[in-house]
Amino acid sequence: MRALTGALIAAAIAYGQEARQIVEESQRRARANSQRYEGDLEVIGAGSKVSRKTWESARIGSFGNSKTVLRFTAPSEVKGVALLVINHRDRSSDQWMWTPAVGRDRRIALQDRSTRFFGTDFSFEDLEERDADQYDYRLTGEEPQDGAACWVIEARPRQGKTSQYTLSRIWIRKDNYVAAQYENMVKDQVARRLHQSVIENVQGIWTARRLEITDVRRNSRTILRIEKLAYNIPLKDDDFTVLGLRREQ
Amino acid sequence: MKPWLLPLISGLALGQDFTERGFLDTTGTFYPQAAPGDSGHALGEALFRYEAFYKVTPRLRFAGGIDARTDSHRQVEREAGLAWWDRNRQRTALEVRRLIATFSAGKLTVEAGKQFIRWGRTDILTPTDRFAPRDYLNVVENDFLAITAARVTYGSLANSIELVFSPRLTPSRVPLLNQRWAGPAAALAINEARPDFPGGPQFGARWNHIGSTAEYALSFYNGYDHQPLYRAALPTVQRFYPQMRMYGGDVAIPLSLFTFKAEAAYFTSTNKQSDEYVLYVAQLERQAGEWFLVGGYTGQAVTLGRSTQGFSPERGFTRAFTAHAGYTIDTNRSLALEAAVRQDAHGAWVKAEYSEAFGQHWRMTVGYVWIYGSDADFLGQFHRNSSAILDLRYSF
Repeated sequence: MRALTGALIAAAIAYGQEARQIVEESQRRARANSQRYEGDLEVIGAGSKVSRKTWESARIGSFGNSKTVLRFTAPSEVKGVALLVINHRDRSSDQWMWTPAVGRDRRIALQDRSTRFFGTDFSFEDLEERDADQYDYRLTGEEPQDGAACWVIEARPRQGKTSQYTLSRIWIRKDNYVAAQYENMVKDQVARRLHQSVIENVQGIWTARRLEITDVRRNSRTILRIEKLAYNIPLKDDDFTVLGLRREQ
Repeated sequence: MKPWLLPLISGLALGQDFTERGFLDTTGTFYPQAAPGDSGHALGEALFRYEAFYKVTPRLRFAGGIDARTDSHRQVEREAGLAWWDRNRQRTALEVRRLIATFSAGKLTVEAGKQFIRWGRTDILTPTDRFAPRDYLNVVENDFLAITAARVTYGSLANSIELVFSPRLTPSRVPLLNQRWAGPAAALAINEARPDFPGGPQFGARWNHIGSTAEYALSFYNGYDHQPLYRAALPTVQRFYPQMRMYGGDVAIPLSLFTFKAEAAYFTSTNKQSDEYVLYVAQLERQAGEWFLVGGYTGQAVTLGRSTQGFSPERGFTRAFTAHAGYTIDTNRSLALEAAVRQDAHGAWVKAEYSEAFGQHWRMTVGYVWIYGSDADFLGQFHRNSSAILDLRYSF
């Protein structure tokens, strides 16, 4: 019996290590000094009402120490609204939102991160980076997504990581290590599902160009199409500050 | 060729980073009750705003905007001409909303021109916001006015210091004496003499710290109050803007359930007619699901009272419980409720609004503002000005 228990624990540790290695390899392959794209968003509400938004995203740094600015470019009434996300290796990100109409920034508190981001189905937390060190991983099996073989990995936030999600299931493709799907759970219910498809090689980095996030409880979904994607472009660190948000208007 | 023209021309040649935005907004306000000195029940307003942003180089940017407006109630001047200083009694028909050049290099940012400068962290009342005069023609619906200033900011994300110099006061716009927002004074036969604007400059400094557990700032201001006091030799009154010095601070602390925000400022003056006092605000803020909730208290403590008559919505909104609730129905529709209730219940203001977007450009807002109270109370004096609002905006 003791031998069986020991074997199970050893297998679990091995599976955990293997799961972490897969996630780390996935992040290593996606590593870039910077990234910029234009996002075309289609929000499809519960009543099939569709609204469109666009944003520009710029990121400097990579997993563990990256900074991102998202700035809406349409519709006209939200043009200029921006979000600054500063990711940390050891804790949840810091986030500030800039609203030009009131000319002030507002810090998004940790307890507010489950709120939807400006009418999309992304929550503020969904816009932060998932650093491998902030989760415990477990390989639970294999299951294809969009016809591609995938590992299925469970990720639980570690102590100190504040998250609305109690558990995430991640499908990582075996051929290019791109995450094909996330299922983010609250207790034992799926709260949001993020499906990533149209995977293309851009400057040597396999990248999903179509992200579809479904808010299961609201029966609403948002499709993000990534256009004009570029990696390793020159960006200035000073633009990724609260002052930088104000400067760009 | 002048060397300073090079970056401008090269930027234009590359067509770099030009963006623009704006809107045409039409508003109808309907007052069920007549008011002293103003029997009008309906007010129509139209505002066209255009703003353009141009990044000449990564270090140099320009931003400019104009407002063109008209109305049915003579709150807007009928004279043509482009206004800059915002010292007119009425709103101007055509005005430079802002025009600013921004230069940044490393940790240094310099902004010069007509610009909006917002200090403080709290919402309904921001005592440290000294460079932010407002248009108080309709006291409870007020927009900020830009000021002409140079603003230098130096620092990193964690710590920054800001210095502001403004050569000339931009006063808040006060209600017109022949209209309902003058309150009971509209019924009196008062002549207004030419206002006594101060000639001197204003200066301010603010140090801001962003930590992992809290954000806080200390601020200092030396200049003039943008809200006037009155010299009275009845039936003639004259607005003047007393010297003011402010020592202030604000803080935001995210707690497990709410974010706690507080702001306080101590005001002194060398003017013998001006009070010395403390304004303070404490509020809790929470975003939960589709709700955005803010509740707080605004207070005032007079340390030296001189009882000069003035017009100060900032002080008028104190000794009150304030609340704001917003609910997002879906991606196009939202509800909002705002309220300020004086602690002695002698005045209250409640605003409820429903807003819906249509397509990419149109938004309609309907709302009702309810004002209750007695003539002796700052809020209560406008109790005849409860109104329904219908607003239609085309954004581009």
